[in-house]
Formats: sequence, structure tokens, C-alpha cells
Amino acid sequence: MTFGIFGIIATIGLLIATIDGTLGSIGYIYTLLIFGGVAFPCLAIGYYVDDFRRWAVMSQILYSFIAVALSALLIYVQGLSYSWTFPLFGAENFEIAIGNVAAFIIASQTVIILYLVIRADRVLPPKGVKVVRELTPAGLAEIGEIPTPMDPALLASDGMTTLTPGEEKKILDVRRVVTEEGMAILCSNCGGATPLSKTKDDNTVDCDYCGVVLGVSSVFVPCENHGEYLAATTCNVCGNHFCRQCLTVQEPPVDKKWEASAIYLCRKCFEGRYRPAVTTASLVIPIDNLFTSAGGRFARVGSMYRSFLGVYGNAMKHLWRLPLELLASIGKSGGGGGGSGDSCAGAILLIIIIIIAIPLLAGVLMLLGAIIIIPILFYAGLVAVTIEAAKIISRTDFVSVDSARVKSLVMKRRMKATESKLRPAVRSWDDSYRSEQLKREWERRRQESFRQDYQRTQRERARQRAESFWGSG
Amino acid sequence: MTQQQKILCPVCGGPVPIFNKDRINRCEYCAAPMLGSSQNRDCVNHKGTLAKEVCHICGDLLCEKCEEKRVGEYGGKLLTIVNCSKEACVTESSWAKPLNEEYLELVNMDWSDRMDNLILRITGLGAIIMMVFELIFFLGMLYFQYLTPWSVPAFTYFGLPEWITTPINILLLSIVGNLLAAILLQSALQVYVHERQLGAGVTLLVILVIEVAHLLFRGLLFGLLGLPNPVFLPMLLGAFLFGTLLVFIGSLMAMYVGNKKRKQFKDARVKLNLSV
Repeated sequence: MTFGIFGIIATIGLLIATIDGTLGSIGYIYTLLIFGGVAFPCLAIGYYVDDFRRWAVMSQILYSFIAVALSALLIYVQGLSYSWTFPLFGAENFEIAIGNVAAFIIASQTVIILYLVIRADRVLPPKGVKVVRELTPAGLAEIGEIPTPMDPALLASDGMTTLTPGEEKKILDVRRVVTEEGMAILCSNCGGATPLSKTKDDNTVDCDYCGVVLGVSSVFVPCENHGEYLAATTCNVCGNHFCRQCLTVQEPPVDKKWEASAIYLCRKCFEGRYRPAVTTASLVIPIDNLFTSAGGRFARVGSMYRSFLGVYGNAMKHLWRLPLELLASIGKSGGGGGGSGDSCAGAILLIIIIIIAIPLLAGVLMLLGAIIIIPILFYAGLVAVTIEAAKIISRTDFVSVDSARVKSLVMKRRMKATESKLRPAVRSWDDSYRSEQLKREWERRRQESFRQDYQRTQRERARQRAESFWGSG
Repeated sequence: MTQQQKILCPVCGGPVPIFNKDRINRCEYCAAPMLGSSQNRDCVNHKGTLAKEVCHICGDLLCEKCEEKRVGEYGGKLLTIVNCSKEACVTESSWAKPLNEEYLELVNMDWSDRMDNLILRITGLGAIIMMVFELIFFLGMLYFQYLTPWSVPAFTYFGLPEWITTPINILLLSIVGNLLAAILLQSALQVYVHERQLGAGVTLLVILVIEVAHLLFRGLLFGLLGLPNPVFLPMLLGAFLFGTLLVFIGSLMAMYVGNKKRKQFKDARVKLNLSV
């Protein structure tokens, strides 16, 4: 789809340049080619591309071949120094070195072709695989959600069935989040505020708006930040009492001893600013990760090259016959004299090209591609880090339980857990080290169990041998 | 309440089965404690005194006099728990250390909340401007080098041809610039952490000096004064100066507030005879 949009932009640009007279009559052909070859097919099949992924991969290879051929033709006809000049807001000229752009296209598309061919086993989905095209369910499969037992729909007063969208809208329109009758309890279903004076003798409250029955918190303490609300529960880190508007929720530790399915945190603890006897709070930009992944990508290019050499070497086994037979035929006809030297040199040249030049060229192209693509990915990582940091600085990365519920009702979907990756201390149980430690522990126990089984078997065998030697009687 | 109605947790909305009428019941989902249907809200030891906490072991309601707060590492995180004085509950809670309330009072940093917010915003905005500046600088250099007739002066080494050394120069120097900007951003975020505020302020100042020197070096090496575009260079320099100014002011503020906190920590530890 994105290619299609870029294709349309390129088509419009080419058309303007052609009408302007910059490109001459060949511009119309280029416009048509870009529209017919890129914009239209990509826009037409972009949405369904995953359904036809096998075809899409092959089409990409074909498209890349065409792009390389067209770019090579342009360089051949116009030369590498060919450039266009556009007027920019009438102030100055905007010059683009088209020859260099064409060279870039040749390099990048060649890398794409090589990548798709070498990694065909990975880029082509297995037959019969189910494709989830919609972004929402596909995204949910990968991204965690804010822990909640509630579906993104308003519950009826029985606390079980869900309301129709019309009834839901009616309640959300009339519900109020403040009361004029003293301290209130916030409803976990609709977010409305019901005065505590309406608490029944059995320590429950019927929500004034949606009618669900709410249990009353174990302690009658107001929220630390909002004196007008009864605290819903305590922050698990500092132990202070807060309402639903002041608490965020996270997945519990990996520790199996934790009985609950949620960890509640107030903003201060979420930001790592609570200071009990000891504290561990830090904001860490994973710069090392960015460099490690960039290095890893270079290493992957190296392994791709190795795979290419392996595949190439296997293919050569079969292709060897041709030049060898050619050499043999030259050898046989050698006694005749004239012209055989040229044929021999030609055959040797052919062998050199096949054995040395092609793998070397592939390596150089891969390296050039890596030098272009990996910095782009590195910079994409830096941009993502900057956006995360901007969220922290604007303090918008704290999503309260209350706002998450309201958002899920409005958006009709469960809210994603959007904790910042720059706050490792907030989800310390989530870090890779801890999971690795758990995996190691599990592996150690497995090996221990295996060792005990092995020893038991050995003992049993020894006992059986002893019995057979001495006789079982 | 009809038989069909479920009692919902006021925190998460999960179902709360009422098994105990005179004791607390826990939400099935998040385990938040709820009052039993005939439970009194007073402390179990002091009738007439409203309870403020719940023992996390036995579930008894407690007032301030009866509670004991503890801090312990659980699943890699420091959590606060409350227990009553019953022997079994104290034993069960012994994995956490009793909270030093006096120390907590002495090292309370709430006074700096507003100032810290301001410092975080100033340094953070400055560091983000620097980060964006570095990204635009890199893209701009690529554009001018490869898509316009202008190019950076030739600078070769190790006998390598110019077409290899030029992109490597641009790429490496830009990555170093981005790395400095990322360290700057990291330090700008650290000013919000009490213990690291002073150190982060100093780091910001040092990195800022290196970043300015690096920019000047790049400008001279790439011959940016000869750039034909009249807008690009002044725009970049303006953004850079603005970012530098913000980071500079923020770092001075961080050092000032951080130093006050350092003294507060030290005084608290001296007062309580703790090792400094």
C-alpha cells in the first residue's frame, strides 16, 4: 500500500516534469510505467498482499528486476552525472542528481533480489498458513494488554451481561465523575461516581449510573491525591491509598508466588521517585541494544553471504561440467593450431567469472546494501527512542486504570500495555535477565531430574546384573 | 440485591465472591481486599478507630498503631506490605524488612517535585531538540552530498578512494553525533531520579561541551560554510543553539537541586547514625 502511495506521488511528479518540458517525450513513457508498474498494482493488491504473499514475493523479484533494468538503461543513455533541476517556491532551484538516484535503485533492488532469493525459505510463508490481515487482532497477538478482567463493553446491572451500544451511550452520556454528597466511590464498570452515603448494610454500593453492585474497599481512606474519592486500593510499591484515577496496572512478576493478576502503581512509584529504605529507579535508553542489533544485522549479512556461497557452491558442482567439457573439447582440438589460444583464454575467463567474480560481486552488493539499510534501521531505532523519551518528558506514558477503562469503552477494544521501554525499573520482573534466569533454573531442574533418572536406571541395571550373576533364588 | 447480581471489584471490575461475612474477601482477579457483608470497618484491636490498613497475611483490619509496614524485594521489585503483630503474620512477612519510617521522613523529597518536573522538561526538550538536530543533520548531509552538485571536501586515508571514505566519514561522524545526543537524552531523563540528579547534571554539562566541539569539528571538516543553500545552515545552528541553551540551563538547575538532595541524604544518615 505504501509503495502504491509513493508510486502515485512519483507518477504525479513525473507528469508535472514532463508537461513542464524537463523530461521530454520519454517522460510520458516513464509516467505510464510507474503508474502501471508500481502505483496501480500496489494500491490494488496492497490490502490483500498477505493473502498472496507467495505471489507478492515473486512479483517483488520481478519488479526489482524491472527497476534495475530501467535504472541501468537510464544510466546507460544519460550517464551517471545526469541531474534534474526544479524550481522551489520560485526562490531557488532544487537539483536532484537522478543518475545517483538510479545507481541507488540498482544497488538497493539488487540487494532485495538477492535477499529474497537466498532467504526464500523464510520469506515465503508455509502452505496453508492462516493470514490475519486486520491490524488489530494481528497486533494483539504480539503486544500485551493492560491487565483487566473486563471486556471493552459496559456491563448491565447484573454484572454479567453486556449492554447494547445505545444503552451504553446513554449511560456514558449521563454519568458524572463528581458528586456533591461527600466522598464518592468510582465505578469500575462505567467510571461514574456514587456517593459513599449510599453504601448498603452489606458493604456494597449500587452504581448510580450503570447499576452494578460494587464491593467496598477494605479501608475507608480517601485517595492521597483526591480527597473526594474513596481509595480503591493501595499502591503495591509505596503502600499508600489511591483511587482508580491515580493508579496504573501492570502484569505481575514472573514469580509464581504472586497470587494476584495485577500490580498497582501510583504515578510516583511508576516514575521511580518513591524512596523507601532502598530504591532502584533508572531510565535507561537502550543505546547498547541499538548498536548490538546494528552489529547483529551486519553479522546476519555475513551469514547471508555465507549461505549464498553455500548455495552457489552447490550449484557450481553441476555447472562445472560445462566449462570443463569446454576445456576438454579445446584440449582435444588443440593440435590443429590457429584460434585455439583465444578459445582457451575465453574459457578461462568464463571460469574466473563464474568462480570469483560473481560471488565477489554479490558480496560487494550485499555490503553496499548493508551500509545503506542498516544505518536506516539504526536511525529508526533512535527515532523510536526519542518518541518514547518525549512521552516520558510530557508525562503521558502513565495510563490510569480509570482512563484505560474509559478508552477501552470508547474505542471498543482492550487497551494495549504501553509501558515505556525506557523504564526498566518499573517492570523489573520483565527484563530479559530475569526471564533468562528462570529459564536457566528450569533447565537446571530438568538436568537434575534427568541425572537422577539416569542414576536410578544405572542402579537398577547393576542390581539386575548382580541378580543374574548370583541367581535370583 | 437479587441472586443473579454479581459483586464487582471497585478497582478492576473482577468478580468478588463473598465467602467471609465478617472478614475481608479478595477479588478473584486482582486480589484487592473488599469488606465482608457484615464486617465492621474498625481496627480489630481498637473498637471505634477506623481501620487504615489490612494485614496481608490474615486479612485483619488495622489502625496506624497496630500496623507494621515492611519493604521487600518481590519478583525483582520493591513492594510494601503490611502485617499485624501476630507471631504467625510476623514470621510469614519476614522476607521483607521493616520500613524505617524515620529515615523515610528525613529523606522525603516531595519538596522538589515541582522543580524536578521543570528541570526534566527543560533538559528533556533540549535533548530531544539535539536528537532531532542530529537526525536532520545526517539526512541533510546525505541530501547535499548525493542529490546536489555540492559535496564535502575530499578527505582520504589508508589509500582508500574518495567514493568510499566520503560516505564513511559522513556516516561515522553522524553516528558519533547521534550517540552523543542519545547520551545527552539519557542524562536528561536521569535528572528526574533523586540519587542521580547531581551526577546527571554534571554529565549533561560535559557531554554538551563534547557535542559542541564535535559539531564545530564536523562543520569545518565538511566545509559547511560553503554550503550553497542559504536556509539549511542558519536553521540548524539556530536549533542547535536553542537546544544547547536549554540543556545548559537544565544541567545547572539539576546540579543545584541535586546537591541539596545530596546534603539532605547525608544529614539524614548522620542523624540516624547510619554509615554515610
